[in-house]
Amino acid sequence: MASTVTANGFSLDDSGQRVVVDPICRIEGHLRIEVNLDESNTIRNAVSSGTMWRGLEVILKGRDPRDAWAFVERICGVCTGVHALASVRTVEDALGIQIPANANHIRNLMMLAQYTQDHLVHFYHLHALDWVDVVSALSADPAATSGLQQSISKWPKSSPGYFRDVQNRLKRFVESGQLGPFANAYWGSPAYKLPPEANLMAVTHYLEALDFQKDIVKIHTIFGGRNPHPNWLVGGMPCSINVDQTGSTGTVGMVWLNMVSDIINKSIDFVDQVYIPDLKAIASFYKDWGYGGGLAGKNMLAYGDFPINANDWSNDNLMMPAGAIINGDLSQVYEVDVRDPEQIQEFIDHSWYKYADGSRGLHPWDGETEPNFELGPNLKGTRTNIEQMDEGGKYSWLKAPRWRGHAMEVGPLSRYVIGYASGREDIKEQVDGILTDLGLPITALFSTLGRTAARGLECSWAAHKMRTVFDAMMANIKAGDTSTANMEMWEPSTWPADVKGVGMVEAPRGALGHWCHIKDTKLANYQAIVPSTWNASPRDGAGNIGAYEASLLGTPMANPEQPLEILRTIHSFDPCLACASHVIAPDGKELSVVKIR
Amino acid sequence: MAVQETFYEVMRKHGITRRSFLKFCSLTAAGLGLGPGYSGKIAHALETKPRTPVIWLHGLECTCCTESFIRSGHPLASDAILSMISLDYDDTIMAAAGHQAEEILEQTIEKYDGQYILACEGNPPLNEDGMYCIQGGKPYVEKLKHMADHCKAIIAWGSCASWGCVQAARPNPTRATPIHKVILDKPVIKVPGCPPIAEVMTGVITYMVAFDRLPPLDRQGRPKMFYSQRLHDKCYRRPHFDAGQFVERFDDEGARKGYCLYKVGCKGPTTYNACSTIEWNDGLSWPVKSGHGCLGCAEDDFWDKGSFYSAVTNLKVPGGAESTADEIGVVLAGAAAIGVAAHAAASVVSHMTNKDRKEMNNG
Amino acid sequence: MSTTAASVHDPKYQKATYVFEAPVRIWHWLHALSIGVLCVTGYFIANPLPSLGGEASSHFLMGYLRMIHFIAGYVFAIAFLVRIYWAFVGNKYSRELFVLPFWKGGWWKDLFHEIKYYAFLTRKSHKIMGHNPLAQTAMWLFNVLLTLFLIFTGFALYAEGLGEGSWADTWFGWVIPALDGSQNTKMLHLLSMWVMLVFVVIHIYMAIRADIMDRESSVSTIMGGWRTFKDDQP
Repeated sequence: MASTVTANGFSLDDSGQRVVVDPICRIEGHLRIEVNLDESNTIRNAVSSGTMWRGLEVILKGRDPRDAWAFVERICGVCTGVHALASVRTVEDALGIQIPANANHIRNLMMLAQYTQDHLVHFYHLHALDWVDVVSALSADPAATSGLQQSISKWPKSSPGYFRDVQNRLKRFVESGQLGPFANAYWGSPAYKLPPEANLMAVTHYLEALDFQKDIVKIHTIFGGRNPHPNWLVGGMPCSINVDQTGSTGTVGMVWLNMVSDIINKSIDFVDQVYIPDLKAIASFYKDWGYGGGLAGKNMLAYGDFPINANDWSNDNLMMPAGAIINGDLSQVYEVDVRDPEQIQEFIDHSWYKYADGSRGLHPWDGETEPNFELGPNLKGTRTNIEQMDEGGKYSWLKAPRWRGHAMEVGPLSRYVIGYASGREDIKEQVDGILTDLGLPITALFSTLGRTAARGLECSWAAHKMRTVFDAMMANIKAGDTSTANMEMWEPSTWPADVKGVGMVEAPRGALGHWCHIKDTKLANYQAIVPSTWNASPRDGAGNIGAYEASLLGTPMANPEQPLEILRTIHSFDPCLACASHVIAPDGKELSVVKIR
Repeated sequence: MAVQETFYEVMRKHGITRRSFLKFCSLTAAGLGLGPGYSGKIAHALETKPRTPVIWLHGLECTCCTESFIRSGHPLASDAILSMISLDYDDTIMAAAGHQAEEILEQTIEKYDGQYILACEGNPPLNEDGMYCIQGGKPYVEKLKHMADHCKAIIAWGSCASWGCVQAARPNPTRATPIHKVILDKPVIKVPGCPPIAEVMTGVITYMVAFDRLPPLDRQGRPKMFYSQRLHDKCYRRPHFDAGQFVERFDDEGARKGYCLYKVGCKGPTTYNACSTIEWNDGLSWPVKSGHGCLGCAEDDFWDKGSFYSAVTNLKVPGGAESTADEIGVVLAGAAAIGVAAHAAASVVSHMTNKDRKEMNNG
Repeated sequence: MSTTAASVHDPKYQKATYVFEAPVRIWHWLHALSIGVLCVTGYFIANPLPSLGGEASSHFLMGYLRMIHFIAGYVFAIAFLVRIYWAFVGNKYSRELFVLPFWKGGWWKDLFHEIKYYAFLTRKSHKIMGHNPLAQTAMWLFNVLLTLFLIFTGFALYAEGLGEGSWADTWFGWVIPALDGSQNTKMLHLLSMWVMLVFVVIHIYMAIRADIMDRESSVSTIMGGWRTFKDDQP
């Protein structure tokens, strides 16, 4: 290939040194990234390969639609609940079930809690070590760290003694010789820019956040019984509300509602006093590392979520708006119709599947899938010992989803750009605020750091929105409505014989859609297109590269032996490969019958 | 590398007083259901042993086990990772990636051959030469077998590693296979659940570190201390079951009074786990307490035991439909009754014609 | 009503044989009674009655149902154990339930004859003092195999309540993993109940039919123990 320009306008050159990173750690699931470098160690070609595949959709065939949420919830335990919610929504959509107001509030609360916890864990435990040098923290001055902390936030854990204790704990840990998860990493690399004090502050908050995150998800535990993998219900939520009658203490009553309110307050405090100040502090040292844009600012997609009033999916009723931006034109936000077979399609030219007509893309309702583990002719290595992928052939267990033929980026940054372009005041205020603080133009958003920043802002947005939703729910309960489930259509005998549905969720990682076809009270077809499939997508037949691949191009590496820059950018998407690659997996005999309709 | 420190030394260095340390030991002893005499033994063990290396592998899974692990309240996940075990490899949280990460595996085998614990989350798929889960360009099952060869014992986290779980549900397209069916020559401790309770996970690890032995296992290889009773046996809604008071439909009067969820499909009576006693997320709640029946997620093959909303299991009957034992039973008994009636009628007819013929013969 | 032979009324053909000894008869009725109780209580354990309101302290419906089910289960199992014992010390008919003489050619011949008889392909029933081979096979399938299956699955499920290490767990606990878990064991136990009911329906019909149509005593035999025939034809 040597040098080419892709259909979506990126220059690729695979003539230089090839660097393979497999596994990409600190993500969910299994991902492989290969890049080619030029003489100056700048990335000129990138290949993203999803390397796992579980096949949940075929397992769902013939099952009770009311059970489906539990199956698909197990697509992912990190963004737990998002698939379950998409599932109950798609079944409710198919059957025409209206959920009660409280169920809508509870679902919103659970998903906002999910955003808050997931974004927090992503920033500190999956992403921070790309920016923060743990070993450098050992040489920090605790008093200076305390000064730094107090200058950026009013978080009470900020004394010199506190930071000294943490530093000592860290020292002993390093001296023990057993470095655990911090072993063999890239400490001391010139790519790390933070002063020791900032490193110590961030490492301290790494530990604090690890201890705190488990409290945020207690909102799931209260309404869904546990976390990970809380329980959901087609028609509403399974938890009953009983605030003043006999049996109240065994259900959602005053004590639990108070606890939810407390968790919301603490979450707002932690995010606004720890996460956001850390984010700004770290970003201020990496302002000139403006790489990793890729599709950001060019092609972005969001389905929208968080209906204020139950069962109303119009854009005005959604706290987070839907829309699509293409070719970098922020003045135009396109409407997205997930039911339109011309809009959302999946391609498999470079994916380990085959279609009857492999050159076409298929809408999920028409989805056909047949696994086809076949490697390109220029592969280095063997079938079971791959040294280097051949991106000219098939090279990933992910399909390539496209919106009107465009490769799209999804996720917090997409939501924020679309929200900003749609003129949402709450989002504009946040975005303008942080850009002013850092002295950056809006285009700075279209980068690795922009993704990371948008996630932080969204975490704060979600924590505050929990308060709004909780207050609305309390007002509803006060007005006398305690219903949480609509059971009118519970019995399959009340269902239409042949219906289709679609359920949308804005998951923490981006736009998620589930499509179902219910025939004779059983699932005849079930398809999902998940955020990481959009972002980690391989190339399509037209030659469009996906968001991961595009984002890596042009990034210089300080040391090709240490893939720190690759990790930074890939981590900024918060990859979730178990989600991305669960697509349909028929076994031998069923191959021919899986083609739906 | 530096001299290995004991658990106690590390804790002391982390500023934990001896008094708190001993308190931790007695709480651990109590938490594990051991007598007060054991807290001394735990203290002794932690004072004299280096942190046990743990290699945590991920096959086909959803990472809910890791997520659950970090929800542990006692001990906190940060304490477990920094002070109790040495989590030398876990691709979900480790800083390194690519070949720097894979090097750690070989280093561990070199340094701790036969001494490290292999914690497996998820399972290996065996179809397509194992290439439904590729790590470092090779089938995951190779990595699993390689690391299992040199470990001391295996912990099979969650229902994926223990039983197969969702990807192994009918028709199990990737032939996802539980650990004990792939690794035959090492002890495998199954800690099922989808996911397992956080404190059960840290409890199992702490037990192994503190006592330097495997927890006693039941017939199916699960630690007895957490898996020898059904949720139903210790369910706080059990009195309503015994009384015959049930939730008939979600959000009905009974649901608001906290009645038993058996009739809306609760699998508590057939599920062995500690949810009803330890509960979830710092003992806050558990599925039944929040109004939904137990799915039975710690049981083998729970995905294929019929609807989550039916107390009785559905059976696959010829023709592809599903029926409950009762539906099949009613059909069988009805068929028997009809058969008997028809046979009786035929007998009478036969008898009459026989009699007529004899009468004719006689006449 | 005309009869084929005057000999029917000949007293010498009314000679009775003592077939079912008292322990066998007592077992039969205990077995029948416990099956009846087990079926009713078992059905309502699997499919509870409509919910009762109020507080848990005022009712114990499921508790009683389960208790009665367990007591009946013990009766069912212990009676069966005694019945096995009696097969060793009782008369030759007491062993018919357990031992199918499949190695005897005549037994197979009789078996096929009975099948033909009940299919109306022949009109003559053989006179057999105990059970005919078809009845014997049915008895063995349902009252030995199925009974054992119900006892093993029943006590395995009972052991779940008694707990790990209890006597029932020691003896029967292995059944649960062997049958693919507790939920499956429960389902198979329930299904076996229905199979047993199928047997009960056919058994009662056959017994009454034999009394009316087959020249031999049947219902009275299991009450009094004596078998009589209504004619002297072979």
